[in-house]
Amino acid sequence: MIIKGLTVRFGAFTAVDDVTLEVPEGRIVGLVGESGSGKSTLARAVSGLVPYTGEIVDGDGVQMVFQDPYASLNPRMTVGASVAEGLRRPTPADVERLLGLVSLPPQLASRYPRELSGGMRQRVAIARALGASPRLLVADEITSALDVSVQGAVLNLVRGLRAELGLSMLFISHNLAVVRYVADEIAVMREGRVVEHGPTRQVVETPAHPYTRDLLAAVPRLPAP
Amino acid sequence: MRTPSGLAGAAIVALMLVLAVVGPPIWGDRAELIDPVAALQGVSAAHPLGTDNLGRDILARVLVAARLSLLLAALATAIGAAIGVVLGTLPSVLPRRLGRLVSSTVSALVAFPGLLLAMFTAVVAGLGARGAVLGIGVALAPAFARLTQTLAASIAGSDFVAAARMLGVSKATIVRRHVLPNIAEPLILNLTVMIGASLVGLAGMSFLGLGVQAPGYDWGRLLFDGFARIYVNPMVALGPAFMVVLAGLGFNLMGEALAKSATRSTVPKGAAPAAPAPEAGEADPEAVLEVRNLTVTFPGGVTPVREVSLTVGPGEIVGLVGESGSGKSLTAYAVGGLVPYPGVVGGGPVLLDGQDVHALPATERRKLLGTSLAMVFQDPMASLNPALKVGGQLAEVATVHQGATRAEAWQRAVDRLGHVRISEPARRARQHPHQLSGGMRQRAVIAMGLMGVPRLIIADEPTTGLDVTVQREILRLLREVTEESAAATLFISHDMAVVGSLCDRVVVMYAGRVVEELPADRLVSGAAHPYTRALVASVPDMSADRSLPLASIPGRQPGPAEVGEGCAFAERCALSTDRCTATRPPLEEHGKAHRVACWEAS
Ligand SMILES: Nc1ncnc2c1ncn2[C@@H]1O[C@H](COP(=O)(O)OP(=O)(O)OP(=O)(O)O)[C@@H](O)[C@H]1O
Ligand code: SF4
Ligand SMILES: [Mg+2]
Repeated sequence: MIIKGLTVRFGAFTAVDDVTLEVPEGRIVGLVGESGSGKSTLARAVSGLVPYTGEIVDGDGVQMVFQDPYASLNPRMTVGASVAEGLRRPTPADVERLLGLVSLPPQLASRYPRELSGGMRQRVAIARALGASPRLLVADEITSALDVSVQGAVLNLVRGLRAELGLSMLFISHNLAVVRYVADEIAVMREGRVVEHGPTRQVVETPAHPYTRDLLAAVPRLPAP
Repeated sequence: MRTPSGLAGAAIVALMLVLAVVGPPIWGDRAELIDPVAALQGVSAAHPLGTDNLGRDILARVLVAARLSLLLAALATAIGAAIGVVLGTLPSVLPRRLGRLVSSTVSALVAFPGLLLAMFTAVVAGLGARGAVLGIGVALAPAFARLTQTLAASIAGSDFVAAARMLGVSKATIVRRHVLPNIAEPLILNLTVMIGASLVGLAGMSFLGLGVQAPGYDWGRLLFDGFARIYVNPMVALGPAFMVVLAGLGFNLMGEALAKSATRSTVPKGAAPAAPAPEAGEADPEAVLEVRNLTVTFPGGVTPVREVSLTVGPGEIVGLVGESGSGKSLTAYAVGGLVPYPGVVGGGPVLLDGQDVHALPATERRKLLGTSLAMVFQDPMASLNPALKVGGQLAEVATVHQGATRAEAWQRAVDRLGHVRISEPARRARQHPHQLSGGMRQRAVIAMGLMGVPRLIIADEPTTGLDVTVQREILRLLREVTEESAAATLFISHDMAVVGSLCDRVVVMYAGRVVEELPADRLVSGAAHPYTRALVASVPDMSADRSLPLASIPGRQPGPAEVGEGCAFAERCALSTDRCTATRPPLEEHGKAHRVACWEAS
């Protein structure tokens, strides 16, 4: 998918300002930036949830996974029914296959979201999105509402899905360490614009833009042994 | 629902329903019995409410009329609800323009007097019960439509509806599958209140002669018939009027109680009483804060904090880490005397500068904590009043606890705001919290803690919502403030990297207990407890090896009421043995400044 000159305005405020960005087939592009920099608005525009100007080439087949797994599943629907929502003629076998993709047991299909932990819910949300066979998966801060003990498992899953299904992904997080870990490329956003974009290693090790350097310097690090 | 008014409402409603069922078979004959001799009598032993112009007993008629009155009210409510739900959900299904037309029509109708609408409809539909029911139904519909629309709009904005839209689910299916099931509960609760309203409304219609026509009769009709005689025999009108009011009140009370219990917040606020603390061994003279065997319990065997001991030295920052629900916050709140009711703090003592905080009388404790405890929460607005100027809120600390004059206090507030590096402190002091950025608000909260001389600083996820660059500034500030005031700081966070980079020591909690305590610089390579190791390895940091999968911890932490005999981590632990499930490992020394609770610690 290629985003060309995408702009989103809310009244007089420009949330996303002339962004051009390519998400190549089968790669994970990480999007970092501070709150208010326009990351989520860009994600929602790409997913068709907010109106925008500009052009998106190959923009169909986008699915999104949201930040808060407690708000993104209908509490009155079983896990199976939620997962089946993206399927045209859902069969129990399809639901089982999708749950399998996110390493959840098929018995979970008859359960309700309230019986699940945050990490399991987030897997269900991912399975639901995968059901529509997306060409691009947009993941907006999908681990920041999760408990520390399950973040690792969800990040492993994201990387596994890329390897298994060749999924393209726009992976948004304010946590540079998380983005560095999952993404092949990193785009840095600030005040609605992409200020730097390159392969992960390059952006992390030899940042070109002063703002990127600033962000990298601010990341808390565990003291080296 | 367990409130007196809720119970009264439920009792009245139950009584009405019983009456509706048994009234006609029991008193039906008596109510129809024509006795010309006894016509138009007042109150007597034989006729407690008097008789009507055909000599029929009015009490019997009132009791029998319960069925028809309630039935008509239920019908009117059903009509109102049906129209309301349709009107309320149409805007979500129709194309945008049409939807807007519908919702502005509803708004106009809501503003229109209900009784006029009811009378108009009734006159058009024809006199009699049918017209009245339709009229009241129509009159109730706009308010119900508005309620439906508001509730539906909040669901329509939810992430799961956005997800369904992306998956190509049609608008009508979204309404049926996602919106209606999630708004049904509040709507149904509201129906109860509506039945009360339609009872009263229908009585009004009958009273105006627009409702039930003779020989049929409901309460409104009985009221209408009796009203002409109200000056001669007041009881003949007051009887039916009383029933209308009682039933209307009952449904209203019950509906409101139901609605309240459905939305009630779970945790009532208020400080919990401290249980008498058993005396423990001698104190560490160096420590600013010393906590021994602290326990927090809630009724019903819920013990979220179990025998936690902590020591924090002057100028030291100790991190409390662990997954959600491990008891980090409650531990800190128990130390600060802030455990919400009905929690009970036990064990102890909690020594602040050698003084047992919980043994102090309540007023002295409040005074001590008022000047020497600084709290910083994740949401700075939890500590700031949005309606007051920032400077005034800081100054209040000095006037209340330190007896400063207002001018002195204001001066100090400005000084403290400058101290936490808020630029132009004098101008910022005159602003309201919402005019400050998130980072600045958090600084202002820290400045508030610095109005006195803090001895203990409790920071509960103070940077969780903040950007990394702002986070760095706040962490630096906490470090400086702790050192210059030689306070003890408890820093709670789920972010291992933040804790590792800021704290001197780290206390790891699991299921309410301390499972490991170690110097922060040993987190990466020196952690001995399997849980600590897994926590460190489950979240990537900037040096994580990208070719390796992250650690994950299977299963879940036992709840605060489910903790069993052995090691609480046993179910999720790869090293678990029979011994682990049978007996709990004690927290023991494990080298210098390092304590671990694990049988297999290496
Ligand atoms: N008022 C209460 N009544 C009953 N249980 C409570 C109450 N308040 C807290 N708990 C329970 O105490 C346990 C510990 O809560 P606490 O807030 O200390 O956790 P935490 O470690 O701070 O978690 P988080 O990381 O989510 O902030 C939880 O299981 C919680 O459900
Ligand atoms: S005591 Fe046993 S179960 Fe508990 S952490 Fe140690 S090895 Fe694991
Ligand atoms: Mg907490």
